[in-house]
Amino acid sequence: MNPTKIDPSLNSHVESTHISGLHGTVEHTHDEAGNSMFGFIVFLLSESVIFLSFFAGYIVYKTTALDWLPKGFTGLETHEPAINTVVLVSSSFVIYIAERFLHVKNLWGFRAFWLLTMAMGSYFLYGQAVEWRNLPFGFTDGVFGGTFYLLTGFHGLHVMTGVLLQTIMLGRSFIPGNYDKGEFGVAATSLFWHFVDVIWIILFILIYIWQ
Amino acid sequence: MMESMKIRTILILGTIAIALALVSLWMGQQAYTWLPPQASVEAESIDRLFSFLVTLGTFIFLGVVGTLTYSVLFQQAGKYDTSDGPHIEGNLTLEIVWTAIPFVLVVWIAGYSYHIYDQMSILGPMDHVHVKTMGMATAEAATLDTPEMKTHPIEVRARQWVWEFYYPEQNITSTELHLPSNQRVKLVLRSEDVLHGFYVPAFRVKQDIIPGRVIDFEFTPIREGRYRLRDSQYSGTYFAAMQTDVVVESEQAYQQWLIDAAASPPIVAYNRAFDEYNRAHNPISTGWKTVEPAPPPMVNAPANRSTNPPSGQSL
Amino acid sequence: MTNLSVETITQIEQPLPGAPDNWKRFFSFSTDHKVIGIQYLVTSFFFFLIGGIFAMIIRGELITPEADLLDRAVYNAMFTMHGTVMLFLWTFPSLVGLSNYLVPLMIGAKDMAFPRLNAAAFWMVPVFGVILMASFFVPGGPSQSGWWAYPPVSLQNPTGNLINGQMLWLLAVAISGVSSIMGAVNFVTTIVRMRSPGMTWFRMPVFVWTVLAAQIIQLFGLPALTAGAVMLLLDLTVGTSFFDPAKGGDPILFQHFFWFYSHPAVYVIILPIFGIFSEIFPVYARKPLFGYKVVAISSLIITGLSGIVWVHHMFASGTPGWMRMVFMATTMLISVPTGIKVFAWVATVWGGKLRLNTPMLFALGGLVMFVFAGITGIMLASVPIDIHVNNTYFVVGHFHYVIYGAVVMGMYAALYHWFPKMTGRMYSEGLGKLHFALTFLGTNLNFFPMHPLGLQGMPRRVASYDPEFAFWNVVASLGAFLLGMSTLPFILNMIGSWVQGEKAPQNPWRAIGLEWLVSSPPTVENFEELPIVISEPYGYGKSEPLVANPDALEVSHESN
Repeated sequence: MNPTKIDPSLNSHVESTHISGLHGTVEHTHDEAGNSMFGFIVFLLSESVIFLSFFAGYIVYKTTALDWLPKGFTGLETHEPAINTVVLVSSSFVIYIAERFLHVKNLWGFRAFWLLTMAMGSYFLYGQAVEWRNLPFGFTDGVFGGTFYLLTGFHGLHVMTGVLLQTIMLGRSFIPGNYDKGEFGVAATSLFWHFVDVIWIILFILIYIWQ
Repeated sequence: MMESMKIRTILILGTIAIALALVSLWMGQQAYTWLPPQASVEAESIDRLFSFLVTLGTFIFLGVVGTLTYSVLFQQAGKYDTSDGPHIEGNLTLEIVWTAIPFVLVVWIAGYSYHIYDQMSILGPMDHVHVKTMGMATAEAATLDTPEMKTHPIEVRARQWVWEFYYPEQNITSTELHLPSNQRVKLVLRSEDVLHGFYVPAFRVKQDIIPGRVIDFEFTPIREGRYRLRDSQYSGTYFAAMQTDVVVESEQAYQQWLIDAAASPPIVAYNRAFDEYNRAHNPISTGWKTVEPAPPPMVNAPANRSTNPPSGQSL
Repeated sequence: MTNLSVETITQIEQPLPGAPDNWKRFFSFSTDHKVIGIQYLVTSFFFFLIGGIFAMIIRGELITPEADLLDRAVYNAMFTMHGTVMLFLWTFPSLVGLSNYLVPLMIGAKDMAFPRLNAAAFWMVPVFGVILMASFFVPGGPSQSGWWAYPPVSLQNPTGNLINGQMLWLLAVAISGVSSIMGAVNFVTTIVRMRSPGMTWFRMPVFVWTVLAAQIIQLFGLPALTAGAVMLLLDLTVGTSFFDPAKGGDPILFQHFFWFYSHPAVYVIILPIFGIFSEIFPVYARKPLFGYKVVAISSLIITGLSGIVWVHHMFASGTPGWMRMVFMATTMLISVPTGIKVFAWVATVWGGKLRLNTPMLFALGGLVMFVFAGITGIMLASVPIDIHVNNTYFVVGHFHYVIYGAVVMGMYAALYHWFPKMTGRMYSEGLGKLHFALTFLGTNLNFFPMHPLGLQGMPRRVASYDPEFAFWNVVASLGAFLLGMSTLPFILNMIGSWVQGEKAPQNPWRAIGLEWLVSSPPTVENFEELPIVISEPYGYGKSEPLVANPDALEVSHESN
């Protein structure tokens, strides 16, 4: 069970220290990809609490603030954001299909659907940017302006990170033998993408539907 | 043989418990002397609760520390004794007992505390939230039968670093809070800049003052005298200097003070923060720029200078 | 015993970069959890001394009623930085350091799950330490809003500079948060997934349980503080209005964010200390930990409860009466699992064969002061009493009994107890006992007087006070200076013993635990062959082996 990195006959203490010192941490007996995935899930759970805190803040402000909406502003337009939502939520299914393709070692199928996910993510970001540009209020216009941009901006940052990760994974798929050691990178990116989606659904309900 | 051993153990433990209980009761009585004078109805009930907790706490503390001390004194290993103690992994009965007893105790303490808080009925910032607070329905009845102050609530205005009190009916401003004794006092707390805290140790009451909110506050002073009012929520550079006096006086004296104050023309009150800021009297100064204190207020009744001496002379 | 030969081998070892006797490895980006552990411990102790100097300056000012030693602004900066340094640069990192050193050894792992992440998390500590210290040199000085950084005071920026003390403070706290989250992910993964064969949940030492419980708190608590800190930073720099009442914001919301993390943070600190107590009492009383499973589980119960008690810091704040009552109840409940632990330790010590050397003395002293702090804690949980003593020195006294009395004492106990393991040398008992005596005396002298002061109504954070408070303040200040001096024998002991102390055997305390089955200090990857655990921990008083393969854990054994 212990992958012997040193010749057992070299039972000198010095030698063992030397070798493990050089190789550092790579040669562990444990399932590293499994650890990474576990750690990543733990991290995402923790990260979700930041969003939960912002949501809690939003709810408190919405229910207690005296002047909630900025002067002259009657409410958010929901049509465009709804389309955006549909695109982002569907991309979760698309990325799942990409994963299935990778699973059966169909690399081009994987790349095609992976790229489609990226396109949908980018479309979402574009839609978000257009919406931001046309809004009559800014970040510093009261607690509504503040929480609106904080929530959508922080979420947008996550979408951007997701697309960036997807780009890296796409590039890596061209490295020969990339998946010999497992598909942790792809699985983690995909999980992150689902996470970002779920957050958006809550966010959409809170900000756009509950007006 | 076993029986008599058991009886002996029970007797010894019983004696120790009684001795500890007596010491704890004595400590509980001492607790009253650790607190400022009881100048409000609230102070009386809070002190009773504190004394109760000191009694309980002393008993637990002495029990635990006494047991440990006994072990330390009489259960040390000999110098060359390398043997282990008995292999005891636990005792279910004991563990259930020391889970159940603390549980019952804290439920008791929480219930008692709730009861006293209910009686105090100090209001506080409950009106801010839409929900009408639970459990406070009985508060009115439970509050001690002192007559309510017949006048409008006194406005407490806090700003960096001034206490200013406004009596709306007489249109009086003061930097000293005068209150009638034996009446339910009503205050309205406001802050103009940052968080402050209204705190009179002799009354045992405290409430943060929150800018942008108006907070109703009630209590009943019962002991004539002069007490300190301190800012209890850190408010910036001159936080420590934001103190003044509360004067509790008889109804007649209070009315007389109102009449006198109303007749006095407003003058500039001394303000310690403002004074220090403009005199930079400290030998070691870094020159860090700080928030500028509000100018001293114009008041009809300035605070007593002997209890609020200017900087450089104590406080 | 095979110790002698182990030592000879260690001596002839080449000073390779990763070798356990090469001091240079402490200044490298080492990924060895033991090196990182010691890096954390030494770095944080350095900041402990800095925070201590701030404390002594504070006590110097408070030795007289007048604000006559320092500018009030400097005083405010001092208590702000004292609190910040002591929490973010001493208690958190020192406990992470100790956990780093011990957890892989105790569960039979060769390292943490993510060694590089571990090293990266450590190197953030000096970075944000420097940022925090640098804030002394920006216009307006460092943050002066207390370690709570309550708005609106924390939003007042009299210099108008974008780079100001408060902004750097927020930056430092944010980096500290990132570092802590990285550490927490690492610890939880390591404990859940890296246990050696046979190391089931109920064979883990309680220290590992408490680290797990503490790190779970970091994971759910810290993000809330991060959210609050981000919003505060935006208010301060961009001009949003989340917490600024002048622009419609809600300053009380920040308090909720802050305490949602910062109260559980106290359990992040105290839980590993509970673990230390649970390790040390059995060793020096030669008895198993009383009610091991209950003690282990109660750590997780504390973790759960810690998430629903935060409002007890806000009983006098903008909270409605019903909220005060609910959180009073939850807060009091936390004393039940805590009480279970205290009674379990007392029962462990009771009837044992006690050996009162330095770690045991510190652990006993720490326990006594913790019990005292627990009792004042119940008083503070009671809303009517808290209304009176909230934000007074009573609170300061209470939490210093926790943080100094229990945490620092427990930390010292741990450092002495595992010193032979970490360094391969024995410490001096004489100096250790002197250190204990000075610390115990100093702690009580310094922090006991704060209780009567608080009961009398002296607010915390004041630079000047009414003369009626003078007596107890003088006593407290003298205690503080004594406490400052008490670190000297410790430093002397640690450095002197590390350099020329007597060589330590594998297991100088005849303790039971995986870390005591390998050489002192352990080799780079701890175990040559992973230990196969076959019995529960704390098997004192019966002779049952802990592992099935004690002779295969290290190469050096085979050569004998």
